[in-house]
Amino acid sequence: MMLLESVSTMDFIGSKLLDFLTYTGFANVEWANIIMIAVGAFFIWLAIAKDFEPLLLIPIGLGIILGNIPFKDAGLEIGLYEDNSVLNIFYQGVRLGWYPPLVFLGIGAMTDFSALIANPKLMLIGAAAQFGIFGAYMVALALGFEPNQAAGIAIIGGADGPTAIFLSSKLSPNLMGAIAVCAYSYMALVPVIQPGIMKLLTTKKQRLIKMKPARQVSQTEKMLFPIVGLLITTFIVPSGLPLLGMLFFGNLLKESTKTTRLAKTAGSALNDIVVMLLGLTVGCSTQASEFLTWHTIFIFIIGACAFVVATASGVIFVHIMNLFLPKSQKINPLIGNAGVSAVPMAARISQNEGLKADSHNYLLMHAMGPNVAGVIGSAVAAGVLLGFLS
Amino acid sequence: MRKILSVISFLIASSAAFAQGAHDFKLNEVYVVTPACCQGDSASATCDKQASLVDEYGQAASWIEIENTSYSTHDIRNCFLTINPAVLDKTMSAPEREKLMSLIPAGDPRTSISAKQRITFFADGKPNRGTLHLNFTLPANEAFTIYLFDGNAVDLLDSVHVEALPAASGYARLDDGKWQVLEADKVTPNAPNVAYSNDKIKEFKEKDPHGIAMTLMCMGVVFSCLVLLFVFFHIFGWAMNRAAMLARVRAIRAIHDQASRVVEMAKQGTTETKGVDMETYTAVIGLALHEYFGGTHDLESGILTINQTTSTWADKSHELRVTPQHHQAN
Repeated sequence: MMLLESVSTMDFIGSKLLDFLTYTGFANVEWANIIMIAVGAFFIWLAIAKDFEPLLLIPIGLGIILGNIPFKDAGLEIGLYEDNSVLNIFYQGVRLGWYPPLVFLGIGAMTDFSALIANPKLMLIGAAAQFGIFGAYMVALALGFEPNQAAGIAIIGGADGPTAIFLSSKLSPNLMGAIAVCAYSYMALVPVIQPGIMKLLTTKKQRLIKMKPARQVSQTEKMLFPIVGLLITTFIVPSGLPLLGMLFFGNLLKESTKTTRLAKTAGSALNDIVVMLLGLTVGCSTQASEFLTWHTIFIFIIGACAFVVATASGVIFVHIMNLFLPKSQKINPLIGNAGVSAVPMAARISQNEGLKADSHNYLLMHAMGPNVAGVIGSAVAAGVLLGFLS
Repeated sequence: MRKILSVISFLIASSAAFAQGAHDFKLNEVYVVTPACCQGDSASATCDKQASLVDEYGQAASWIEIENTSYSTHDIRNCFLTINPAVLDKTMSAPEREKLMSLIPAGDPRTSISAKQRITFFADGKPNRGTLHLNFTLPANEAFTIYLFDGNAVDLLDSVHVEALPAASGYARLDDGKWQVLEADKVTPNAPNVAYSNDKIKEFKEKDPHGIAMTLMCMGVVFSCLVLLFVFFHIFGWAMNRAAMLARVRAIRAIHDQASRVVEMAKQGTTETKGVDMETYTAVIGLALHEYFGGTHDLESGILTINQTTSTWADKSHELRVTPQHHQAN
C-alpha cells in the first residue's frame, strides 16, 4: 500500500515537473529568439565597451533580451503584448505616444538656446538637415512602402528617437519597434557615420574657418525664445503640438528663472525615468516574430541613407550660405552635420573634427545652434507628416 | 485682486470647455416608421419589415442619431431634443421651453459619447422606458424639424429640417454636411454614415508616387517655421544690441557731463578743497577718467591670477599630532 502511494506521488511530481518544463524558455526557444538575444547583448557591449550612447543602448539592449525570452503562451500576463502585464502597462507610454513628449520636456529643460539666439541664421542649417527625412521618404516609397509607413521610417533621418517613436506610433504602429531601434542605433553611431561625410564634403581650407565668438544673449531673449518659438511653430504646424509644446515648456521652465526646481526635475529625474522605461519597452517590442522580417532590413538600409543625406545636406547648405556671407561672417562647414537633432552628439562631432583641423578652433558652441534647431526642425517635420497622412 | 483674476480666468476657461463640448454634437441620422409601430402595434408584420433598429423591448420605433464630431469624449446629458417649433419663440422662458422638449436624463453612462461616436434615441413617445426614449414621435409622410438644445434650454446646438419621409426610410448627414434620403436597408444606426477610409494616404500614393511633392511641401513648412524664428530673433537681437549700446552711450555721456561740470566748478573755485565735497568730486573725476580710457568692457581679460593665500590646510601646526610627545633625554 505504502509502495503504491509513493509511486503515485512520484508520478504526480514527475508529471508536474514535465509540465513545468514546458513553461521554461528552453522548451519554447527558437533560433529567432537566440538571434535577437545576441543582438541585445551586442547593443549592451557597444554601450559598455565602446561607450556608444550607454544611456540609450543599455535599456534598449536589455529590453531586446527581455522581449525575446521565450515562454509558453499560457495567459500568465507576462509578455509585452499581453493585456494587463506590467510590461504592457509600461508599453502604453510608447504605444499611445506619451513618452516622447515627456522626453522633449526634459530636452527643453536641459537645452540652452543661447547659441541659436545669438546667431539666428544657424537655424537654417537645422532646417536644411531635414532633407534627410524626405530623402528617406522617397527611398522608402521606391522600396514599396505605403506613404504612411514611409513617413514613419523616414523620420529616422531626423536623428531623433522620441520623434521617431511618436510619429511611427501614429502612422505605422506595426513598424514602430524596428523604427525606434534603428533610430537609436544610428544615433549612437553618429560618431562613426558623420566624420567621413564631413571630410568628403569639405576642403582643408574650409575646415580651418574660424567663426567669431557669439554675442552675449540677454535673459529677456532667452525667456522670449520658448514663447515665440511655440507660437510660430505651432500656429504653422498644430499637429506638432505635443512635441513642440513640451519642448518649449521645458525650456521656459529653465529660462523663466522662477521655476528652477521644476526645470531641474524635468531635466534630470523625470527625464531619466522616462528614458529608462522608453528604452526598455522599445527594446522589448522587438520580439523576434515581429522584428526579424525583410521590412526591418529595409528600414535599417533606409535609416542609413537618411543619416547620410541629413549630414550631407547640412554641410552643403553651409557652403551655399557661405556664398552669400561676407568674409568675416563665414561659417565653418564642419557645423553643418549638427543640423540633425542628435543633441549633443552631432555638435561634439563638429567640435572634434574642428580640433583635428586646427587645435585652437573650438566649434562646439557654434554647432549647438544648428543642433538645437534640428530638434525643432525634426519635430516640425514630424508634425507636417502627421498632418498630411493621419 | 489675484484671487479675483484667478476665479475669472477659471470661469472663462470652464465656460469655453463646456461650450466646446456641447457644440460638437450634431444630428447625424433620422429614421421614421409608421406611427402605429410606436403605439403598441410594433409586433405586427408591417412593423417587423420597417424595423432597422429595435429598442430594449424588441420594438421597432423611429429614431434620431446624434454624433460627437470631436476627438474627445463628451456627455450629452441634460441636453434637450424636440420637434416642436414653438421652442424657437425667443420670448419664451427657459422653464417654459423645457416643458415642450424631451430631456436627456443624467446618471446613465450611455450618454457619455466617445470621440467620433454616436448615440441613438428612440422617438416612441415613451420616456418612461429609459434614457434613450424620447417623449415625442416622428411623423411619417410629413415634414418636421428636429432641434437639439443645450442644457440651458436656450442655446440651439443643431437642427435639421426633414422633408416628408415615407415610413421605413431614413435621412442621413454625409461628410460634406449635406443630407440624403435613405431606404430602410441603407440606414446605419450607431455606425458612420460614410465608410471610413484614409483617403489622404490613397491620394498621396496615387498623385505623389515618388514623394517629390511631399518633400517640397514639408521642407517648405520646416523652412518657413525656422525662417520666421530667424527673422524674429535677428530683428529682436539687433534691437537688444542697439538698446544696450544706447544705454552705454547715455551712461558715458552722463559721466562726461558730471566730470565737465566738476572741472567747471573747480575752475570757478566754488568747490571746497577739503572734506566730503572734495572726496566726492575726486571719485567722480576718477571714475569718469577710468571710463573714458576704456574702463567699460563686456569681456573679461581671461587672465587668471592666483595669489598665494594662507589657509589652515597649509598650516604647519596641523601637521603635528594633537598632543606632541617630546622625547626627553635621559
